[in-house]
Amino acid sequence: MKDFVGEFSNHTIDALRALPSAEIARALVILQATYERGGRIYVCGNGGSLALATHFVADLNKTVFSSHLEKKLQRFQAIRLPSTESELTAWANDVGYDMVFAGPLKNYIQEGDTLIAISSSGNSQNIIKAVELAHEYNVPVIGMSGFDGGALNRLADAKILVKTSLGEYEVVEGVHAVILHMMVKYFKNYFNFLADNGHMV
Amino acid sequence: MIITRAPLRISFVGGGTDLSVFYTKERGHVLSAAIDKYVYVTIKHGPEIRGINVRYSESETVRHVRELKNDRVREALLASGIDDHIEISIFSDFPGKTGLGSSSSFSVALMKGLRLLRGDTVSARTVAEDACTLEIEVLKEPIGKQDHYAAAMGGFNMLTFNPDHSVEVDPLLLDFHKSVGLEKHALLFFTGITRDARDILSEQQNNTASRFSTLSQMAAMVEPFRIELLVGNFKRLGEMLHEGWELKRTLASGISSSVIDELYAAGRQAGAWGGKVLGAGGGGCILFLAEPAAHETIRSVMKNTAEKHNLEWFSEVPFQFVQSGVEVLMHKQK
Repeated sequence: MKDFVGEFSNHTIDALRALPSAEIARALVILQATYERGGRIYVCGNGGSLALATHFVADLNKTVFSSHLEKKLQRFQAIRLPSTESELTAWANDVGYDMVFAGPLKNYIQEGDTLIAISSSGNSQNIIKAVELAHEYNVPVIGMSGFDGGALNRLADAKILVKTSLGEYEVVEGVHAVILHMMVKYFKNYFNFLADNGHMV
Repeated sequence: MIITRAPLRISFVGGGTDLSVFYTKERGHVLSAAIDKYVYVTIKHGPEIRGINVRYSESETVRHVRELKNDRVREALLASGIDDHIEISIFSDFPGKTGLGSSSSFSVALMKGLRLLRGDTVSARTVAEDACTLEIEVLKEPIGKQDHYAAAMGGFNMLTFNPDHSVEVDPLLLDFHKSVGLEKHALLFFTGITRDARDILSEQQNNTASRFSTLSQMAAMVEPFRIELLVGNFKRLGEMLHEGWELKRTLASGISSSVIDELYAAGRQAGAWGGKVLGAGGGGCILFLAEPAAHETIRSVMKNTAEKHNLEWFSEVPFQFVQSGVEVLMHKQK
């Protein structure tokens, strides 16, 4: 049992050591620019990645500003796609599973927004449809993928690939959670820094 | 109705190496950053509008596009094929001819808006190229390409100008501690003197052959500047701005003047590590980097020097850096 724990931990540590830091920095710059212009940030994924998307939206919208909730401060506008189960099932049932993200995305999307697409394989059809729609609107895509990155990593503007052997979902999803929390922490520190230095009223 | 805006920029090092007379022989480099001062363009197009209406510091209403005096709007409209029923208005957070690249920011916001009007959603890079084509190829302005890219892309960028006229954009992935830190060490003053960049840049273009090695040195300062910025060595950055300014002022006779020299020297004597006159020179804005504790002294010395020379419009310009470049603020079909 101990061997298994050690081996899994080592895989995760290897993946963390190999993080594409420049691409994560690029994603932070994209998010900063989106915040400045009041754009929306859409986040989508399937299964466990959808759970990560939901968690990240809550952290970006609320946790980042936890120390400044009373202030009249512009906040992030992050939206999990789709935002209701009704839309998810309506699109899946009536149109097809490949449209569950791109379909609801089209209700909101405007130039100036950003899409964060999370897919371990990088090849989920519904994710790729959302990415294609984003590019039609000149909306930058932060792609979080695993394994060899798949189509998502090729198409994304910020290519956050957690490189592992095929099928290592547990390692990829765990490291994706770390990266999303890293982004939350960066912006939390940023707004705290602004407040501490008198840049925030 | 369409409303677009594009930010102004502060160019730190390498300005002048974005002119084709230089970069066609040796690669040019510039490091610049967009700031929270914008040029806004509104476009309304529809059968209810009669003729061509353009509002800026002047107001023009004409029947045919080619009658417009505003050369940028005229040539942009001629290229777009829109020849009637249009109203274009321009607003600005800050006056032009002040060294912050406002005329190119205007072209970027205008080209973005006209593209949208035709139903084209295009990348920031395409808009930058559109604006370069308008100003450099069509209007034959003696300017470089840096401002269009700075305005379109936003943020901090290292720009490389290749002999084949292509431009590489390398965004600096700058931690907020460094960008906010740079703001806290920077002081920006508008001298109250405006100038037409074209006269200085024309002379600079003609001087390029004899000043080639100076321009080479200026291009070579960009990479070291980038490295010091990434680690947040603000004192060294100030000193490098000073070295760059000392080189730049030798490029053409109009870049500095006795008043500019006196203002700059006053700021340095009051404690600034270094600085530069922004843009083509001859007036406009002066940027200093200094320890925050020295800022009050520098402010008061600069104000006194400006008063001595009756610079009525002299003022400090508070600013922040921005990551976002050209933006669409509104796009309604009706």
